[in-house]
Amino acid sequence: MPPFRDDQIFIIAPGSETTLAQLGLPESFTPARYRLRSRMFRAEKAGEYEPIKIRRKEKAPPAPTPAPTAPVNGLAPAPNGAGSKPETTAPNDDDEWEEDRVSEEGAVWPIRGGKVVDWPCFYALMTHVYNYVNPPFHTPILLVSQPVWTPKEHEKVTQFFFEKFKVPAFTMVDSAMAASYAYGLTTATVVDVGLSKADITCISDSVLQDIGRSIAVPDCGGEAMTERLMELLNLRKGFTREVCEQLKKSNICEVLPSDFDIPTNDSVGGDAHSANPAAAASTGADGVPPGKRKQSVVADLPRGPGPNTQVGEEKKLEDEEGVLDIASIVTGGNMSEYLAQKEREKQEKAAARQAKKAGTAGAAAARIIRLPNNKRTRNTFVYEDFALHDAMKKAGMSNQNMADMQSAMDFDSSGGTGPNAAKRQKTPEPQSAVSDKPPPDAELLASPGSNGSGFRREIEVGPERFQAASGGILDRLADAIHRTIQSCIDVHRRSELWENLVVVGNGAKVRGFKEALVEVLMRKFLVSPSSATMFVSELPSRMSTPGGTGTSTPLPLSHHGGGGVNPLLLAATTAQNPGLLHPGGVSSSASASASGLLAPQQHPHSMHSSHAQTPTSIKLAKIPEYFPEWKEVGYEEAQFLGAQVAGRVLFVVDPAASGGAGGGGSKGYMSRTDYNEQGPGGVHEVCL
Amino acid sequence: MTSVPPQIPLKEEYGGDEINALVLDPGSHSIRAGFAGEDTPKSVVPTHYGVLSSGHHVYGENAIHIPNADMEIRNPYNTDGLVEDWDTAAKMWEYSITSRLTGARQTPPSRNGLNVVKDGEGDVEMETDETSKAKAETEKMEEEERDRALAEYPLLMTEPAWNPVKAREKTMEVAMEEWDVPAFFLAKTGQLAAYGNGKATALVVDVGHYNTSVTALWEGMVLRKSTTHSPLASSFLSDQIRRMFTTTTPPVPLTPYYLIASKIPVDAGHPASATYTNFSSPPSPSFRRFEEDRVLTAFKESVVSAWPGPGRLEANLEAVKLTPPRPFEMPDGWNNVFGAERYKVVEGLFDTKAAYPPPPSSTSSSSPSQSQYTPKSDDSIPSMIHRSVNACDVDARPALLGNIILTGAGSLIEKLPERLQSDVQAMFPNPRVRVIAAGGSVERKFGAWIGGSVLASLGTFHQMWISREEYAEFGAGLVERRCK
Repeated sequence: MPPFRDDQIFIIAPGSETTLAQLGLPESFTPARYRLRSRMFRAEKAGEYEPIKIRRKEKAPPAPTPAPTAPVNGLAPAPNGAGSKPETTAPNDDDEWEEDRVSEEGAVWPIRGGKVVDWPCFYALMTHVYNYVNPPFHTPILLVSQPVWTPKEHEKVTQFFFEKFKVPAFTMVDSAMAASYAYGLTTATVVDVGLSKADITCISDSVLQDIGRSIAVPDCGGEAMTERLMELLNLRKGFTREVCEQLKKSNICEVLPSDFDIPTNDSVGGDAHSANPAAAASTGADGVPPGKRKQSVVADLPRGPGPNTQVGEEKKLEDEEGVLDIASIVTGGNMSEYLAQKEREKQEKAAARQAKKAGTAGAAAARIIRLPNNKRTRNTFVYEDFALHDAMKKAGMSNQNMADMQSAMDFDSSGGTGPNAAKRQKTPEPQSAVSDKPPPDAELLASPGSNGSGFRREIEVGPERFQAASGGILDRLADAIHRTIQSCIDVHRRSELWENLVVVGNGAKVRGFKEALVEVLMRKFLVSPSSATMFVSELPSRMSTPGGTGTSTPLPLSHHGGGGVNPLLLAATTAQNPGLLHPGGVSSSASASASGLLAPQQHPHSMHSSHAQTPTSIKLAKIPEYFPEWKEVGYEEAQFLGAQVAGRVLFVVDPAASGGAGGGGSKGYMSRTDYNEQGPGGVHEVCL
Repeated sequence: MTSVPPQIPLKEEYGGDEINALVLDPGSHSIRAGFAGEDTPKSVVPTHYGVLSSGHHVYGENAIHIPNADMEIRNPYNTDGLVEDWDTAAKMWEYSITSRLTGARQTPPSRNGLNVVKDGEGDVEMETDETSKAKAETEKMEEEERDRALAEYPLLMTEPAWNPVKAREKTMEVAMEEWDVPAFFLAKTGQLAAYGNGKATALVVDVGHYNTSVTALWEGMVLRKSTTHSPLASSFLSDQIRRMFTTTTPPVPLTPYYLIASKIPVDAGHPASATYTNFSSPPSPSFRRFEEDRVLTAFKESVVSAWPGPGRLEANLEAVKLTPPRPFEMPDGWNNVFGAERYKVVEGLFDTKAAYPPPPSSTSSSSPSQSQYTPKSDDSIPSMIHRSVNACDVDARPALLGNIILTGAGSLIEKLPERLQSDVQAMFPNPRVRVIAAGGSVERKFGAWIGGSVLASLGTFHQMWISREEYAEFGAGLVERRCK
C-alpha cells in the first residue's frame, strides 16, 4: 500500500519571479496549474505581508462604491487567490481601501537570483501559496529547491514546512536534478537560465556534482537581456524598462545566429537615427567567423514593408506617438486634453480609412504572404501599460475615466489601424506580449477594458529586437558552461556531459536563444579531430574516446553508486526513457553495489587517465515528448515536470512493491516521525 | 498571517548528540569546505581572487573569470604554501563556508536596495513608530543570525606539516575571535590523508599546487623530523609545460579562451586561424596567466603522462618513440600531437636534471610570468622520500615503505603512481614497497578533506576539540600543546 496517492501530492517550485505550484498529479503530467508571482506586499501591520496590493483611496467616491467593486469582484478566476483569503479587506466593508490586482508597485520580492533575501517574506509567500491551493490535511509536499540554497537553508525551509503546515511528509529536489528527471537523463549538463542568474550543473550517473558547479552566475538571465534592450533602445523616447521587458517576452524578439544578417531597411528614413547606432554596436557582427560556417542565408532578403504601403505609413505614425509616456500626461493633469486629441485623431483616421479602403483592398490582398519575423526590419508587439494603470489609480481616477482611456488606446492598437491591425494579429507571429503570466492570469489580462488589466498599445521596434543577447550574455554563459564541465571530477563523463546539454528556465525562452548558445559553444570550444592523428593507427580508438558510447567507460565507484542516488528514482527515471540511455548506465545502476566493489580493482590507477580532450561534439538533449500539454507550452519549466516525476516516484511508488531496492534507506522523503526524531537536519538524508 | 519563523527546536528535543562539525581544508590552489561525515566537500572555491582597481576584492569562480581590465588576480599564499596575506585568506575561508554551506553574510533585505519602494510621489511608505520599531527588531534578528553563521559549528582545519607556530596561532585566533566558533582543532594534511585511506602508519606523499610534501606517520602521530617539502608540484609542472611550449620549434602558442571569439579547424602544426576578441583595455597579465592555467590543466588531464618506468626517461627514449603521441588542440584552434614531450614535462619531478631549464633572461622579459626556479636534485620526489625515510627509526622503515600513500590533485598525472613505485623500489630494494593511490580522482583531490571529515565525525574525537572556554583561559598558545 503506497503511503500517498497521486492526487495528494503538492509540488511547489519557488523562483525569483514566478512560483509554480500544483496539487495532485494528473494521469498525464501537465504544466503547473498555479503560477503565482513571487512577491508579496507589505501589510499595514509591520512584519506581515499581503498577496495583493492594497492601496488607500485618495478620495472616497460619493456613491457607496458599486462602480469600483463590481469589476474587481467580477473577475471570474481570482487570479491572485485573495478572493478566498479572510485577511484581505473586502472592499465593501471599508471604503478607505481598495485591492489592486494589477499593480506591483512596492512589492517585496523575497527571492533574488534564486537566493532567499527576505525570509519573513519568503515564509509569507509560501503560506500564501499553501493557502491559495488549500490542500487537504494529508498532503505531502515536494519543494523544488534552488541550487544556491545552502544546506543550512534547506534545514530552515524544512523546519518551516513541518512546523507551520504540519505536513505529513516533505522532501526537496534540486532544480537541476528535477530537470534531468524530466529529460530522463542520468548524465546531463543542466543550464538553468533564470531571471537574473544562471545555474550550471553537471549530473553524472544521477549524482549531482557539487564540485565545480556554477551556481548563480550573475548577469546571465533574462534580466540581462532586458537591460541590453534598454541600452539599445534608450535613444528612443519612452522605451522604459517595462516596455523592454515585454518586448523581450514578445514573439518578435529573437536571438539570431551570429552569421545571420540582421535585416535593415534604409528606405524608412524617419527612424534611421534610432536603428543604425544600435545595429552598428551589435555583436551580431562582431563574432562572425570569416567566411566559414555560413549557413544558407537567403542572400537577397525581401525587404520589409516600404514607405508607400499601408503598413509603412501606419508604422511611421506609430513611431511618432507610439511609445510616448502617457502615464506622465495623466499625472500631469492633461488627460482630458489627451482624450480629446485622441478623439479627433480617431475621427480623422476613420475618415482616412474609409477613403483608403477601396484603394488598398487589392494591395492588402497581395501582401497576404507574410515575411517571417527575422526577415523584417521592423515589427510590432502589443504592450500593456501597467505604469499608466498605476498612475491613474493613484490619481484617484474613476473607473469611467479608465474606461475612456482604454477606448482611446484601443484606437491606437486595433481600432485605429483598422483592417491592418486585425491582419497583423493573424500573422505567423502571434502578437501577444503577455507570455509568462499564468493561464488564469492570462485570462484576466487578455480581457480588454478597464477591469484591472493594463492598457494595451502596439509598439513598433526595429532590428534592436534581435540583439537582446548581444551584451555578452552568451559568452559569459558559454564560458561558465565550459568551466563547469571541465571541472567535473568524473573526467570520463565529460564528453557525455557535452552531448547532453539541457537548457531550461524562462530566461532561455527568447526565440533562438538555445540555438545561439550552442552555436557560441561550438565556435569557441569544439575540438575538431586532429589531422595529425588520422594516420596514427596504433592509437586504439577506445583509448581516446571512452565516454562516447559508454561501452568502455569504467563503472562508477561504490561511493558514487551508493551515495546520493535513490535507486527507486533512478529505476523510475531510466525506465521512463530507455532509448536515451546507453547500456552502461543501466547496468551500472542496476548493479550499483556489486559493480562498485569490483570497479576499483579493475581500474586500479587509471580512472582519470585515458581520455582525450573534450568536447568533440556539443548537443542539446532531446526531451521525450510524452506529455502533449507540456509540448504545447515548451519545456522551459521542465524542472516542474521533473518534480512531478520525482513526486510520483518518491511518494507514491511503494518501496516494498519495487523490490525494496535500497531497503529502508531508499526512502526519498521525510515523514513527520522522521522529523520529530532527526530534526531539520534529517532532510539532508532525503533531499536530492 | 503570521510569518514569524517558528522556534528552532532545542538539540535535546530531537535527541541528536552528534556534533555537526565543519571541515575546512585550505590550500594554495583551492579551498575545500564541507560538513563532517560527508564524502566530498560541498564547497570548493579557488584560492585565487580578484582585486579591482577600487581595492575591492572579489571571490569565487563566478567573479574571477570575467575579463576585466582593472582586475588583478592574486593569491594570498606564498610559494611555500603558507599564508602571506592573512586578512584576505581569512575572508576567503569564511567565504568558502558561508557561500555554500551556511548561507552568506548578506546585507539585510531592508538595506540591500532590492526592496526599496521606488516611487517618489505615490505610496511612499510611511515610517510610523511601529514599523520602524519592527524594522529595528528584524534587523537585530538578522544581524544575530549572521553572527551565528559560523558560531554554530565546531571547526576542524588543516595545515601543512611545516606550518610555523605563529601561523598556527594566527589561524586559531581567526577561528575563535573573528568567527566565534564554539570549538576548534588543527590537523596536518598528511595525517588526514592517511586517515582518509584508513591508515595510521604511512608515508604520505602529497603533490599539491605549490608544494609536494612527504610526511611520515607512526600510529597516527606525525614524525616531525621526517617531514620534507619541495616546490616540485603542479605549479612547477605548469611552468615546465610553458617552457616546453616556448622551446619547441616553432613555439606552441598558448592563448587562453577569453581571447578567442571563434576558431576554425586548421591542420596539425599550422598556425591558428581564429577570430580574437578585441578589448579596448586588455585584462591584466595576472589574469591572462590565470586563464592560461585553465588551458594547461586541460593539457595535463589529456596529454601529460609520467614515464611509468622502470628506469628514467632518458634511458628509454627508444621505447617512448613507440608509444602513440597524443593530440591537443589549443583554444585558438592550433593543434598538434605530443610524443616524447608529454613524458618529458613530468620527468623533472623525478629527475631534476631532466627538467626544462628556465628560459634565458633575455626572453624572460617578454614573459615575466615564468619563474626562474631551477630545481635542485634534493627536491625530486624520490629523493624527498629517501630523506624522509632515512630520518625515521630503522624499525619503522618497512612499515612506512609498505604504505606510501599518494595523494593531492597533482598526483593525478597519468602513470605517476607507477613511476613512483618503480623509483622507490629501485631506491629501497630490500623491504617491500607499495604505493597506495586511491582509484578515484575525488579521493586523491580531496584526500586531506575526506580524512578530516572522517576524523571530525568520530565520537572519540570530541574530547580533542579546543573549546572556546579553553581558548579564553589559555590563549592561542594552546594550539601548540593540543594539536600535534
